[in-house]
Amino acid sequence: MGRKVAFIAAMFGALALAGSAQARVEVQWWHAMSGVLGDRLNELVEKFNTSQDKYTVVAVAKGNYDEVTNGVIAAYRAKRPPEMVQIAERGYMTMLLSGAVIPVQDLIEQKGYKVDFSDFIKPVASFWSYKGRMSAMPFNSSTPIFWYNKDHFQKAGFDKPADTWQELESQLYAIKSKGISECGTVLPGDFYWSLLENYSAINNQPYGTLANGFDGLGTEFVYNKTKVVSQVARLKKWLDDGVMQIAGQGFSPEQLFTSGRCSTFVNSTASHGNIERNATISWSATFLPHESDINPPLNSTIGGGAIWVLKGHTPERYEAVAAFLNFVAQPETQVWWHGATGYVPATNRAYALARERGYYKDHPTREIAVLQLSRGTPNENSRGFRFGNFVQTMLAQRQEVEAVFAGQKQPQQAMDDAVKRGNEILRQFEKLNAGKTPETERP
Amino acid sequence: MVERSPVLSMVCHAILIAGALTVCIPLYFAFVAGSLTVAEVQKVPLPWVPGGQFFDNLQLAWSKGNFSRTFTNSIVVALGITAGKIAVSLLSAFAITYFRFRYRMLAFWLIFVSLMLPIEVRIVPTFEAVANAAVPLQWLADALHVADLWGWISGHDVAISLEWNMVNTYPGLILPLIASATATFLFRQFFLTVPDELCEAARLDGASPLHFFWSILLPLSVPNMVALAIILFLFGWNQYLWPLLFTTDKDMATAVIALKGLIPRSDSEPAWNVAMSGALLTMLPPALVVLLLQRWFIKGLIDSSK
Amino acid sequence: MSGKTRRPAQEAGLKRANFGDGPGLPTLLLLPQLLILLFFFFIPSLRALTQSVLLSDPFGTTVQFVWFDNFKTLFASSEYRQSIAVTFWFTVAQNVLTLGSALVLAFATDRIVRARSVYRTIILLPYAIAPAIAGILWAFLFNPAVGPLAQMLHRLGIAWDPNLNPTDALILVTLAASWKHICYDYIFLVVGLLAVPVSLMEAAAVDGAGPIRRFVSIALPMLGPTIFFLTVMNFIYGFFETFAIIDAVTKGGPAGATNILVYKVFVDGFVNLDLGSSAAQSVLLMSFALICTLLQFRYFDRKVNYGV
Repeated sequence: MGRKVAFIAAMFGALALAGSAQARVEVQWWHAMSGVLGDRLNELVEKFNTSQDKYTVVAVAKGNYDEVTNGVIAAYRAKRPPEMVQIAERGYMTMLLSGAVIPVQDLIEQKGYKVDFSDFIKPVASFWSYKGRMSAMPFNSSTPIFWYNKDHFQKAGFDKPADTWQELESQLYAIKSKGISECGTVLPGDFYWSLLENYSAINNQPYGTLANGFDGLGTEFVYNKTKVVSQVARLKKWLDDGVMQIAGQGFSPEQLFTSGRCSTFVNSTASHGNIERNATISWSATFLPHESDINPPLNSTIGGGAIWVLKGHTPERYEAVAAFLNFVAQPETQVWWHGATGYVPATNRAYALARERGYYKDHPTREIAVLQLSRGTPNENSRGFRFGNFVQTMLAQRQEVEAVFAGQKQPQQAMDDAVKRGNEILRQFEKLNAGKTPETERP
Repeated sequence: MVERSPVLSMVCHAILIAGALTVCIPLYFAFVAGSLTVAEVQKVPLPWVPGGQFFDNLQLAWSKGNFSRTFTNSIVVALGITAGKIAVSLLSAFAITYFRFRYRMLAFWLIFVSLMLPIEVRIVPTFEAVANAAVPLQWLADALHVADLWGWISGHDVAISLEWNMVNTYPGLILPLIASATATFLFRQFFLTVPDELCEAARLDGASPLHFFWSILLPLSVPNMVALAIILFLFGWNQYLWPLLFTTDKDMATAVIALKGLIPRSDSEPAWNVAMSGALLTMLPPALVVLLLQRWFIKGLIDSSK
Repeated sequence: MSGKTRRPAQEAGLKRANFGDGPGLPTLLLLPQLLILLFFFFIPSLRALTQSVLLSDPFGTTVQFVWFDNFKTLFASSEYRQSIAVTFWFTVAQNVLTLGSALVLAFATDRIVRARSVYRTIILLPYAIAPAIAGILWAFLFNPAVGPLAQMLHRLGIAWDPNLNPTDALILVTLAASWKHICYDYIFLVVGLLAVPVSLMEAAAVDGAGPIRRFVSIALPMLGPTIFFLTVMNFIYGFFETFAIIDAVTKGGPAGATNILVYKVFVDGFVNLDLGSSAAQSVLLMSFALICTLLQFRYFDRKVNYGV
């Protein structure tokens, strides 16, 4: 009986809000964390829920980032959005100009919480804010670092991986030729992020015009005229020489590293949890390499996700949202999350706290990402990437790189084509969003 | 058999054995992988003989895939599609073949344009439309100014806001997959072969159309219904894209979607052993249907093409 | 379109003995199906049509009418042309492989006496297996890093790598798709062969025709309509129903080598969030499917009118 009533209510459910008599206000948070990270996220939410008795956050795993984005778009169009959603950095422009979100800084200040937004570490703050105001709450910030198999390097007579791509290359070839491992490195699934985008930032190469999109929607890709082309050629050469392997669809590149098959692996600092659990090898990590003629290298850029707040809910629910976001921003929470996952602590205070407690003495590799993100002074090549339809341009680029790997295209030709396709996609985004300014309306 | 030819017979057996092996090899390796530990399944090359973890992995897959719940969902969805499609199709096929009315040909074409348009083709708009199926009704209400009219009559200001959210509901999973004409087509073809005398006799006896439908046509259609039911059950059980997009709640996922969640991703443990056990579990119900009801299954296949 | 031999359009497909006029009851009977079709077929199809001439952001807050720009962009893009080519080769290869294997297996089944039902049962099994699962099994088997069959190929000196090599990827999805579908063609052909009159075969045997000769010159022509039907069904299967296989095995890669049209609709709509382009592709695919439907219809209706 009860089932049937619920079913009818769901069918014509203008009654959906009726009868919420509980004292606690419940809000939903859709996210994309799975595996160890998903478990940690649930612990975090549990901490918040038990820390007070007014609000309950319900964390809902909705698949990967694409699936979460789809889910939230459909839900928003059907007028049933969750209060909060975790969206990857690549979706920043889409969310910012969507007209569907409330800037988190506005919300938090309006609800009377005092979060020190100036304390967020620079690459994080500058990426997630628009005109100096935070649009989304930085949550899981990461950056790629260089993981390696200590035994393999020692056996080959090296202390650790070299700082430059050139020297690293000879090391990997030596490891291969001495038969120490089957492959020097494995192509990461998100190589476009670590080996092309972050590569450009670190090596001070422009990726697009107008400060990689920070200065306007009129931005155009230019990476077909930079070292990215020779980087693609390098990867192709490694692949041909068997120094690099591709794990392939449905298989984890990480597995080829943690099982000792490949000696190195470029991947997010957020893999700490998994690698610590799965690795049967003695591993360590270091900074990403840079080109020998670029010295000093610049900072890398952040990836990962932030929590966006969606429009369309009651003020009391936004109370709960603000309380939760305030909780996320606390140094204690940040330090715990950093330690539990390997993601970067988002605020200076949290980072200082972790240092004070001697955390990095026991976990030296956990500090690499922070140091790499904050080295030097970010310039317009290294502040980050703000392109519209960035997932779509990235997929087009990935396709072109795959054409190089398959031997169908020369690197220059492929990057020219990728840029051409990417720019068409950017123009479409510009056309659609011309003259739009992001929401600054108060909830 | 026209003549005996032992050599040719042997060749034929060899061909069929090769065919059977081709079918079985992927299944065998799924079984082998499903019987190993996580460490063993990562070893290269994969062993050719099974290990000892088969039942442990089955158990693990069962709990990790939330299969006690997702199997129920799959059964509900598959049976819902089967029953719904057969019921709806019988009625409309009856209407189209046994009645002469003005809009018959229009109705006929309205139904049959959907014959070969699988949901994958119109996936994005279907998703949008079904995410809130009340949207078109809302348009209608707005267009007709129903709210204004009511406000004028009653003196109150009212806003009509309809919501018919079908994400994560059984109707949302079932109904869009019923929206095609294949079964209607089958019954239409069958009804056209039913002797006219039966209908004439019924009319002479003064039986109503519904009585004729219920007591004569329906019993005659039972074999077709059973055969079709098997095909539709398999169709429903094996659905992928629609449930993938349309279930965001873990408890509403179907078994195939839960299985997808078991497939290792780049940030999860490479537990191919559990994934393969899950694959075996998920294919078990439809495989049993094919094995045990083979005669009906074959009839269903052949029928649905006539 | 020879109108002379056909019954008047008004009467087509109507029982000679029927319940006559009166729209009330038939309307009621048709209502469930028409309502379901309205909500889940016509409205979505209409939305595809309208969406295909719009440029809109994913949240639906900004919408621009762009005439046929989405179609123009589509036809101008090399990616779409590649997708068409890939779909074509994939369906043709799958068709040939499926039908060819099914013919050989059906011929062999027809020739033997013992264990016939055992073979048939096993060969039919893949029909029960979800395309997604079939894809996963094959992806695993042929994974260059851990797959046992890929390892065998490597030992034979074949540098098999579907993650890298577009041709290998296309071969892999073709194999997986065919593996899943051979049973369908097979059972039709087995049933079709049973219908070939033994007397014809015996007569040919007396004339000295061997079993293979007889199969080619007598059975095959008689199977003609079935083979035609299967070809159409194979194309439909390859075009629309292999989505899950592509998703599980290659995700359309590498370098777009397995990016079949129906997969591209999905990726552009749900990953790239390019709703206008995805809708335009839907419209094109729907038109194509509609043409197939009409063709099948002419074929079916003829069969019904004169064959039964």
